[in-house]
Amino acid sequence: MTTITGLGLVLMILMILVGGKQGWTAFLSLLLNFGFLYFAIVLVAFHVPPLFVTVTVGVIILAVTIFMGEDDLRTTVTAFYASLIVMAFLLGLIFFVEHWAMVQGFGTEDSDELEGMSILIGISYLKVSVTVTILSTLGAIAEAAMAIASGLTEVLENHPHSSDQQLISSGMSIGRQIIGTTFNTLFFGFFGGFLALFIWFIGLHYSFGTIMNNKIFVAEMIEILISFIGVLITVPMTAWVMTKRRKNIIDNPTKIK
Amino acid sequence: MVKQSWTRQKTWLLIILVVAGIGAMLFTSHNEQLYQRPIAKVTSEQTVARRQTKDQFQNVDHQTDQRLTVTLMNGKYRGQKLTVQNTYSDSQPMDQRFSVGDKLFLSQLHRQNGKLVANVNGYKRDTVIVFLSWLVILLLLLTMGKAGLLALVSVVINALLFLLAINIDLQQNGQHIILLFSILAIVFTFISLLLVLGFSKRMLATFTATVIGTFAAMGISLVVFNLTHERGVFYESMEYVTQVPRPLFLAETLLGSLGAVMDESSDIIATLFELKRLNPQVTRKQLFMSGRTVGKSIMGPLVNVLFLIFMVDTFTGSLLYIKNGNSWGYTYAMNMSLGTVQSLISGIGIVLAIPLVSLLGALLLGRRGQV
Repeated sequence: MTTITGLGLVLMILMILVGGKQGWTAFLSLLLNFGFLYFAIVLVAFHVPPLFVTVTVGVIILAVTIFMGEDDLRTTVTAFYASLIVMAFLLGLIFFVEHWAMVQGFGTEDSDELEGMSILIGISYLKVSVTVTILSTLGAIAEAAMAIASGLTEVLENHPHSSDQQLISSGMSIGRQIIGTTFNTLFFGFFGGFLALFIWFIGLHYSFGTIMNNKIFVAEMIEILISFIGVLITVPMTAWVMTKRRKNIIDNPTKIK
Repeated sequence: MVKQSWTRQKTWLLIILVVAGIGAMLFTSHNEQLYQRPIAKVTSEQTVARRQTKDQFQNVDHQTDQRLTVTLMNGKYRGQKLTVQNTYSDSQPMDQRFSVGDKLFLSQLHRQNGKLVANVNGYKRDTVIVFLSWLVILLLLLTMGKAGLLALVSVVINALLFLLAINIDLQQNGQHIILLFSILAIVFTFISLLLVLGFSKRMLATFTATVIGTFAAMGISLVVFNLTHERGVFYESMEYVTQVPRPLFLAETLLGSLGAVMDESSDIIATLFELKRLNPQVTRKQLFMSGRTVGKSIMGPLVNVLFLIFMVDTFTGSLLYIKNGNSWGYTYAMNMSLGTVQSLISGIGIVLAIPLVSLLGALLLGRRGQV
């Protein structure tokens, strides 16, 4: 048995023990997301346009994460619509930023690993960098959208007559409660993964100016900052979608379980 | 939506932020004087030659040579013009096409036969980081107010501590990296929660649960590592390694999962305190079950957040492996296996934290109810 199988089994058993059926679905969503991510890589390798792959796989990953994470359709549909809008918006921003920053492909620090590889593969790494940046933020967007949507569903359940404006301000106040810890999740998620790179930079005495213009560092910072922006616009967006969908939520008071 | 919460204070904040933003952008786009390395601006470009390339895997690409006329923007040759050569390919993996107006770094700038010569050595990117940071701060302060400011402060403090820890690690040549980053993880958790929740019983409960959950996950994972003899974990595929890879990897994993476990613990504890407030007579068992219900619905999305962060970074590398004629399995092993291990360990931490934090919350709040 390999270590990955072992850890996977431990995770599966724990998820089922703690979460029952929902735990099993959560584990399955992880497997599915892995499958779709790998599928995306293979599609791009077969010269399918990266932008098309990004949008298709992006929508699928959002759907898997949201609809398999929670059973209440009133929450999930709202979260899904909101995260689709946010994804479309971010796609525009990322497109602009990546063409400005030109951080695609590999940096000089990658030279060791690229030895013996043919890097001229005839696929635009710039387009791939857009794909990478958007996909890495989707989890955070889905999670934030679900937190806001489920909070607002509860608000609507208890106060069906609250005005759109009250609903939005409730959404923002839930947002204020989650923003601190969500930022921490993203910060540690990204910084943890790049500990080795930072040790490299500081160990080899890169100057501040060199780091701020380093291809890999800038690429990583763009990912972190874009996910922060993604979460920040998800909060009002979810609240806004909720005001448009409030009728559906009040008309279907029973939770679908 | 905005009208009601739009106060005069906010208008001032907006004006200050926009002015500061424009100032910062102007500064970073005119800060060449501060750099030691020569920076030059492209004033004209000319395509010299174009050729097709083909490797043994039938990947077809094109390389283009361009001749750039650039004007130096700093140093003793400031204002002088020179011509440099640049080669870029269609896929632009490590090279890139430059156009008029781009600013680039030069290396080996010197005079040869009365003419200045230099090599192109990178592109100026600092303005992008400043722009995006400004956008984050703007959105954060305008939409989240004080909570946003605290989140920002916590991220900045954590980043500084992170740098401090790396410096200590380098002084010790990475001897005690796991110990160092374990201590750092505890300090990180304490400071972040202090800023988000303030010093309270609720904060202490969240803190304890986060620390126990994260370290328990690491412990269990190390047991699995031992039982399976770390088969299929390819430390040699780790990127940017300058120290012993295994402890470095474990430290990375510890930090990576910390934020998510903290996120979840604080959500559960917050719900339990709310329940206690609504019904002071609530029993320990009820609290425990509610904690589990909250945790169950958060864990799936949260595991996926980290999974995507860890795995998507391997996209470009995996693509390159596949296009270099490697099998799908080998591509996975060499690029994604470490990311998978990290995702799984964080997943275990996230799931373990649910009963732990629910139990802690139930014991803490239930007892007070009985007195």
